[in-house]
This record gives sequence, C-alpha cells and structure tokens, in this order.
Amino acid sequence: MDLTDLILDPLRSGIWRRAAAEVVLLGGICGALSFWVTSFRLSYPAESLAHGLLPGLVLAALAGIPLVLGGLGGVALAAGCVALASRDPRIGADSATAVVVTGMFGLGALLALSPDAPPRLEELLFGDPLGITHTDLISALALAVVGAGALAALHRPLCAVAFDAPGAGALGLRPGGVRLALFMLLAVAVAVAVQGLGSLLVLAVLVAPAVAVRRAATNPGVAMLSGAALAAVAGLAGLYASHHLGSAAGASVALALCLAAVAGSVLPWRLRRGEARARRGRRAAA
Amino acid sequence: MTRAPAVEAHGLALGYGGEPALEGVDFEAAPGAALCVLGPNGGGKTTLFRALLGELQPLAGRVRVAGRPAYLAQTERTRLDFPVSALDVALMGSLADGRWWRPPGRSQRHAALAALGRVGLEGQASVRFGELSGGQRQRVLLARALTQDAAVLLLDEPFAGVDPASAERITAVFTELRAEGRTLLVSTHDVESARLFDLVLCLNRRQVAFGTPAQRLGREVLETTYGSDIVVLEGSGDTAVRAITVQHHEH
Amino acid sequence: MPTLATVRLGENDSRYAPGVDPGTVPSPLDLLDLPLTRTALAELTLLAICGGLLGAFVVLRGLAFFAHAVGTATFPAVVVADATGFSATLAGLSAAAAYACGVERAGRSVRDPGDSATGLLLVAALGGGILLASDVFESGAAVDRLLFGTAIGLNGADLALSGAAAALALAATILFGRTWAAVGFDSDAAGALGLPVRRADVLLLGSVALAAVAALPAVGALLVSSLFVVPAAVARLFARDVPALLLGSVAIAACLAVLGLYLSLWLDVPPGPAVAVLGAAAYGMCALLTGLRASTRTPAAGTSW
Repeated sequence: MDLTDLILDPLRSGIWRRAAAEVVLLGGICGALSFWVTSFRLSYPAESLAHGLLPGLVLAALAGIPLVLGGLGGVALAAGCVALASRDPRIGADSATAVVVTGMFGLGALLALSPDAPPRLEELLFGDPLGITHTDLISALALAVVGAGALAALHRPLCAVAFDAPGAGALGLRPGGVRLALFMLLAVAVAVAVQGLGSLLVLAVLVAPAVAVRRAATNPGVAMLSGAALAAVAGLAGLYASHHLGSAAGASVALALCLAAVAGSVLPWRLRRGEARARRGRRAAA
Repeated sequence: MTRAPAVEAHGLALGYGGEPALEGVDFEAAPGAALCVLGPNGGGKTTLFRALLGELQPLAGRVRVAGRPAYLAQTERTRLDFPVSALDVALMGSLADGRWWRPPGRSQRHAALAALGRVGLEGQASVRFGELSGGQRQRVLLARALTQDAAVLLLDEPFAGVDPASAERITAVFTELRAEGRTLLVSTHDVESARLFDLVLCLNRRQVAFGTPAQRLGREVLETTYGSDIVVLEGSGDTAVRAITVQHHEH
Repeated sequence: MPTLATVRLGENDSRYAPGVDPGTVPSPLDLLDLPLTRTALAELTLLAICGGLLGAFVVLRGLAFFAHAVGTATFPAVVVADATGFSATLAGLSAAAAYACGVERAGRSVRDPGDSATGLLLVAALGGGILLASDVFESGAAVDRLLFGTAIGLNGADLALSGAAAALALAATILFGRTWAAVGFDSDAAGALGLPVRRADVLLLGSVALAAVAALPAVGALLVSSLFVVPAAVARLFARDVPALLLGSVAIAACLAVLGLYLSLWLDVPPGPAVAVLGAAAYGMCALLTGLRASTRTPAAGTSW
C-alpha cells in the first residue's frame, strides 16, 4: 500500500469522513479556545465540567434523545453546583469542586452501570468519533461558528484581562464579566466536544493545542490560529492511526493531541529563535 | 479665572464593609496639578485610588473625577508569560472608549505608537512585554495610560523597582503631562520625592494633612502619618525635616 | 436469576454485587451473611478508616485534586497488570509513587490544580489505559471494574493491603498529625516555627498515594476521592477542631461506605459510584443545613489542635 492509499483509503468510508469532519471542526474551535483555557488557568474547571456532565449524557443516552442536549443540561447543572459549592468558604473551592464532581460523576456511573442500562458507558467516557451522527456534526458546526464569532468579538477584552485584570478594570472593562463569558463558552464547548472525545478525554482538545504551540506563539492571535490548525491536524493524525492500527478512535485522537503537546514543549527550535530576538531587543534597549 | 477642579473629594469615607478603612478625606486638585499621596502600607492609598476609579462606592461623602482616570498599577500585577508585545499593551489603553468589540483602528495604532515614543520605547514596539526590563515594563504601562488620553492619571508607586534612566524618563513625561493640563495623583512612600510636587495628601486610615509640601511636611504631620515607621533624620520644628520611612513588608 | 455461579468477570453481563436477586430490596443482614459481602464490608470499613483520617489532612492542606489525580494516574498500570497477571498492587504502587514524586518535584502542582500539564497527564493516562485495555489486551468490560471498583473481586490480599494502609494512616496521624494540621492551617507560619514543612508534605503525599492504591480494587481509579475527600469535606462542615474533624471524618466515611455497599447490593452497581453519590448528597444536605443555621456565625475554624 503506498502513501496515497494510506491517506485516501479511510476517506472511502462515510463514517470515517463524518469523524474527520467532526474532529476538524472541534479541533479548530477548541484549539483556539485552548489558548484562553490555559491563559486563564481553567484546566481544572474544564476537567470538572467534563466529568460533572456525565449524568446528563447518560440520561440522554437512556432516554434516546440527542446526546448534545444531555451534555448541555449536564454541564449547566455541573457548573451551577460547582459555583454554588465553591462559594462556601468553609472547605475551599478546590475541595468543594472535588466533592461536587465526585458526586456527579458517581451518579453518571451509577446510572450507566445499573443492569437495565444499555452498555454504552465506555462510549460516553472515552468517546466514539466513528459513531458521530448528523446531529453531532451540526452541533459541532454551530459551535465552531458561534465560538469563532464570540472569540473574535471578545478578543481585546480577553487579552486585556488575561494580561492584567486590575488594569483592565481601570480601563472600564469588567474582568468578572469577561471571565464569565469565557467560562460559558468553555461550558458549551465541553458539552459539544464530549460527543467526539468522551467525558474523560475531552480535556485533551481543550488544553493540549495551547501547550503544543505555547513556545511558537508570539501573540494571542497567532497562538489561537496555530492551536486550531495543530488540533485539527493532530486529530486527523489520530483518526488515521486508529484506522490503520485498528485502535480505539477517541483514545487515539486524545493521545495524538497529548503527543503534540509533549513535542511542542520539548522541541527547542522556536525557543532559540525567541531568545535570540529577546537578546536583540535588550541590546537595542541598552 | 478659576477652573473646576479635576479631582475633588469632600467628607469622603471608604471601606469594605464594617469599619471604614479611610475617612475624613477632603481635597481638590486643579487641572495641571501634581498631587502626591503619602502614607504607610495599609494607610488607604490604594483604597482612595479604587474610589477614584469608581470601583468602590463611598460610605459617606462624595468624590468626583473629570472623566475616567487612567491607572498605572505596580508592574508585579501583570502576567509576564502572556504573549503580548509592547505595542499590544499600549493599544489596550484605547479600550477605555468602551467599544471593546472593535479591532483597533489606524488612529488608535498611531496613538499607541506615539505613546511608546513619548516613553522612549518606539524601537521596542514589537518586543514581547515579558522580555523587557522592569523599568521598560513600567514605561510600557505608562504608555498604555497615555494612549487612554485621560484628564486624570492615578499612578501607584510608579518609581518602585525602576532603574534611574527609566525614572528620569517617567519624570519627564510627568512634566509634559502637567503642561498639557492633565492632573497627576502619585502615591509613594518616599517622603523626599514628595517635596517636588505641588500638593501633598497624607493618609493614615484618615486624612492627616493636605496642602503644599512646604506647609505640611513637618515633623508632626510625618509622625502622625507614619507612626513608628518613620525615622526623622535632621531638623526640628516645621521646616527642614529630612526623613526616611521604614517599610514593613507584608506577606 | 443470576447466582454466584453465573457471575463472570470481564464480560458485559458481569455483575458488581454478589448473591442478591436484582430488583428486590436486600436485607441489611445480607451484608454479614455471605462470605463475599463480609470481605467487601471489611475492606470498605478499613478503607473508611484510612480515607477518613488522611482525607481530613487532604482537605486541610488543599490536596483534593492530588487525591483524585493519583488514583487516575494508576489506570494504565493496573490495566497492564490486570491483563498480564502481574500484581495490580505493585503496578498501582509504582505508578502512584511515580506520580507523587513527579508532583513533589514540580512542587507547585500540589497547590495549583489549574496546571495544564497535570490535566494532560491525566488525559494521557486515561487514553493510554483505554487503548491498552481495548486494543492491546482486549480486556473488555474489566475496564468498568478497574475504573469504578467492585464488591466481588475482592480477596484476602486486598484486605491485607487495606489493613496495612489503615494501620499506616493511624500511625501517621498519631505521629505527624499535629505537624500536618499546622502546615495545613498556615504553611508559612509552620515553616517559621521550625516545622519541617517539606518533609511533612512529602509524607502526606506518599501516604495518600499508598492509601489510594489500597482503595483501587473497591472504588476504582476514578472515584478515589469518594473516600479520600468527600467524608472529610462533610466533617469539615461541623468540626470545630482537628480531633473532631478526624473522628467525624472517619465516622462519616464508615457510614458512607456501609450504606454505599448496601446500595450497591441493592442496585447491582459497583460500590464506588454508590459511595460517591451518597457522600455528595450528604455534603449537599449538611451544607444547606449548617449554612442556614450558621449563616450569621463565623465559619468553623477546625484547625486548632
């Protein structure tokens, strides 16, 4: 089998084409969003939301309604509970979040593992890009369009708040409002992206792209665009690997994204260029 | 001809619930004036700035500022790992027009570049903020305040941790700003530099004194302002007092 | 009607709770009647002791994320061990120890769960584990058991490990409890008092990692925090000092464990999710009750010894 076949062979399957479209759409928008997830230190909240929405997903699977509706309901409930619990000063936000997420994740597992439930739990936990439906694709497309619009409109406030929140407040922005808007966008992205990667692996597409391009990024726009491109490419690479090696698709995509993050953090070439530029800058200043 | 003051506070009391953190504040500053806010850590300098920025509602009294003031916080509060250039930071000042959803236009870019030029960093416009020296970073943040084009500027310890060259440049910009009729409120704990200002406001949980440095910076006022934190080096009575403050570091 | 003889592991129709007719409400005495449930009861009680004691310090020191993460990080190791017949305990211990050492080296991740590297590490552990389970070893539904625990697969070795973990937690609490409490209350002040903050942290991380491995067979890799965070968080709502927190945490953990085991028999689900749901419900109710009662009072200090 030559290279062309390696690339074209999976494309003959409609299921695979749908999976590829889903991965490219989700990778594009979540890869861009991941820059803000890491800048605002939202990795743990993102993981909490993804785990906490499991009961919503399971209930949707049991009731036979589109999973994205269950995901949205679950993520809203999880976000509400986490917000409520972390306002209690007695045990601290981290412990409160852990309690809520443990309970909700346990509830999801309880519902899914009871003998009457159809055996779909692994799909919900680890994702199944090859089981993508047209509804899933449409919701991913909607997320990509709405998310791109929101990120474009919020670009300057996000930059100003991430850089210096008190200073942004003095410029008339509301840092709390900007954070809330980003958090809501993240929640919707988690609910939609969970269709492809599952509750346990969705964090990969929301964090790994930004980590992978961190050293190459010279400004937020470049970081978002390169993160989006890298997530789409790494996701496709994962799908190809899964096709040719026969491995689980969701896990292959997640691991491809993690590998990209490791490669991006370890590869030294951009760093040296950045340092050289910094030295030039300091010399010019002196 | 008397002009309306650019900043004024009357019978102002401020706090965060419970006891007021600062009370009895009464002062005015005309356009073009430079006012030095003196006081120990926890004396109410930052609380007063927050009220002037509109982030804190007065418990009593009133406060008025001409337009939205520009604010220069201490550099430690910025994120050095965030990938923005000096020009990007200077451009953030134009967000004060309230149209945050619009990409910056050509005129805003020109204003930001001009502001970088005024602080002497035109050549570093594309350098990443985190790669600049401490003094250069402070000048970039001053450029952000300049881009905002505000009538009143609030500057929190603008000379803390700044190299002499940068400090000189910042002082020169202050002089230009006053000549343009802008009002500066500068907080500091450096009693000696306070003597170079038109007006001085001494705070220690309440207003201790307000007036010209020559009138007010005597031994009695300084001791009331700083309590045991001050060491009076020489002189007696109301004149010719040299003093340094002992800073207690907060954790 | 499924009986013990039909119970098989590693298949989709495997059941998690032994010897009870599904759909009927089991008698609480069933817990003591059958040998398998007696083992499960003893196992969960021992885990409740070590989870309750260490959980109190986990909550005081803000290590909830670590407790969750150290369990998850063991997943690929226990998948390999499960499929190859290697000791799951040793595999889990080495993975947990490696993770704890990594966290200790990185230093900041302990108190900074926002760290994106930690999040990615957990995703890689889960993704790698599931890839190994489904494609390399084709372990099938054993994955459910490794992720969420079981009440039937427990044996004497698991019991011995949990007993050792409980004894260790008790000894460590007696020896280092005061230091852990002081460090948890204010690590800067504790350092200024000359307490070995770093050594105390290392010991606590190590104890939690070891105890989490002991809890893996019963509650699975994903729900370690159901015993190591939730009971102590509930007790924290009431406790006014550290001894009360420790006692309350152990008592609540034991109640949750027994009730959770009963619920898992009744609903035929693994004990991990049952304990987690009961614990979060208990926390929610207690938080509402104490919140209403004490909304005007100062929050419980819970850190004097």
